Amino acid sequence: MKRGGKVWSWFWMILGILYFFLPLVATFLFSLRAKKGILSFLAYSELFKDSSFIKGFSYSILWGFLTIIVGILIFVPTAYWVRLRVPQFRTAVEFITLLPFVIPAIVFVFGLVRTFSQPPFLIVDSPLLLVAGYTVLSMPYMYRSIDTGLRSIDVQTLTEAGQSLGAGWGTILFRIILPNIRVAILSGAFLSFAIVIGEYILAQYLAKPAFAPYLAYLIQQKAYEPAAATIISFALTWACMGIINLFGRGQEGQIAGGH
Amino acid sequence: MTHLSLVNVCKQFAGASAVCDFNLDVEKGEFVSFLGPSGCGKTTTLRMIAGFEVPTTGKVTIDDVDITSKAPNQRNVGMVFQAYALFPNMTVAQNIGFGLQIRKEPKGAIKERVEEMLSLIHLEKKGNSYPYQLSGGQQQRVALARALANRPQVLLLDEPLSALDAKIRVSLRAEIRAIQRKLGITAIYVTHDQEEALSISDRIVVMFEGKIEQVGSPFEIYNFPKTAFVASFVGTLNTATAEVLDPAERLITMDGVRLQSAEVMEGLNKGDKVSIAIRPERLSFSALEKKANLMDCTIENITFLGSVVRIQVTIGSTRFYMDTFNNPFLELPKIGDREQVTCSREAVLVLKA
Repeated sequence: MKRGGKVWSWFWMILGILYFFLPLVATFLFSLRAKKGILSFLAYSELFKDSSFIKGFSYSILWGFLTIIVGILIFVPTAYWVRLRVPQFRTAVEFITLLPFVIPAIVFVFGLVRTFSQPPFLIVDSPLLLVAGYTVLSMPYMYRSIDTGLRSIDVQTLTEAGQSLGAGWGTILFRIILPNIRVAILSGAFLSFAIVIGEYILAQYLAKPAFAPYLAYLIQQKAYEPAAATIISFALTWACMGIINLFGRGQEGQIAGGH
Repeated sequence: MTHLSLVNVCKQFAGASAVCDFNLDVEKGEFVSFLGPSGCGKTTTLRMIAGFEVPTTGKVTIDDVDITSKAPNQRNVGMVFQAYALFPNMTVAQNIGFGLQIRKEPKGAIKERVEEMLSLIHLEKKGNSYPYQLSGGQQQRVALARALANRPQVLLLDEPLSALDAKIRVSLRAEIRAIQRKLGITAIYVTHDQEEALSISDRIVVMFEGKIEQVGSPFEIYNFPKTAFVASFVGTLNTATAEVLDPAERLITMDGVRLQSAEVMEGLNKGDKVSIAIRPERLSFSALEKKANLMDCTIENITFLGSVVRIQVTIGSTRFYMDTFNNPFLELPKIGDREQVTCSREAVLVLKA
């Protein structure tokens, strides 16, 4: 590579890092200034004393995990089936998975409330509706990650190899296909989790405890605690994803074999 | 006794016929190859035996049991794929034992069988390796072991050597044949490589445009092709149009040259146009030996192919190739020389259109 090209590569990389980390560092420094004149973790300790913060954040983590599980259970078989049996519908399915980008969340939540607040679907109070809503919102990321993972393996031949050895659909899906797209599922899960942690409208309008509505409330009431909450949410989200990654990866050889 | 049988099997895709009127009986322990160009229906036929495609009409039986509508995982048929299709998340041993696990065989029995299979393919030390740690040839041997571990009634091989380089292809095909003979398993092998089919098979089914052109031993297919397609597809062949002179005497004329064939010319009359074929290696210079047919020719080109020398000659206005073994002590003619070539009556094949 030419020397000039190398310099530009470093320049863009450093610019990207600064763009991402500077606001985070600024927020962190701001969160330490709750006590006048000195840097302290006062905002953080205040935050941990607030039971609403613990509740909101715990619920968001729970919704995040449930969304990931439901997403995997729905989108892995769907993407697999579309790729294997009805590849002619792939474009249509991809279009459907992009709808959450086109339909504003506020329109979506009012649609949910209107549809599921009257018989025969009276489930507007159920947390299931919130998880279902999050699953829809995370669909573009989850589905596309899984689909990309499926593209990297020979789905049809692996399926037929499984069938010729006597395996049924469930065995093929859970013992052959799923382990080989684990990395793709993990990246979809990461994105879904991040969306759920930061999502405000669904939780607010379905009146369920979550982190984003709590943060919005906090911003109106206090100065330093919202910054501390933002930093904590970042740290905890990354920690959770690290744990998922750690448990999901298994042996190095297995991941390498999946490529 | 017939082990595998395909009766009037047809397969259509969106109205287009991929396989038509396919009839074949395969004996137990026989090694049969489906040979033909791309799109001739050989893989479709194999997939119908495996259960991945359902015949539009006709039936498939194994040991007289109709398996036509059985799902692939309900048939006891092993399959080796062109792309190996090893499960990347499993070790070699886990791959080989997968089918036995599905059958819920005891752990001890699975371990024993996996070790037996690893020894069969000479990869005893690779049980704990992952597929990506093996070479292409090793992966295909593991795929073979995996397909055999379940003790299938029929082994299907779909162009298993196509992805390998030439040297490994030759050694692995010999290994496949040796294993098949050792286990006495019935095998169906799909290939478009005539050399592979000729070297490995008990019988070859030559297919073209979804239909069987000829079924026979490699010797029969090569030496006595029944149709113009088989003659042209298998090996190099000189073909020309000729005219029947005397059907009873089996005499024909090509470009004014009188030729005698050994083939019975049933239904042919004097003056009928026919296609004739002569293998290049059946022609020789008359100076060395004289046979029933003698033809004057001009040497057009000489190509050295290693063990064989290919000489292009013109007989009248027809161009023929002639193959002769490379003999460093034999003087070859020069381009432009006029010579006389000869061939036996048996060498002149009269082909069906």
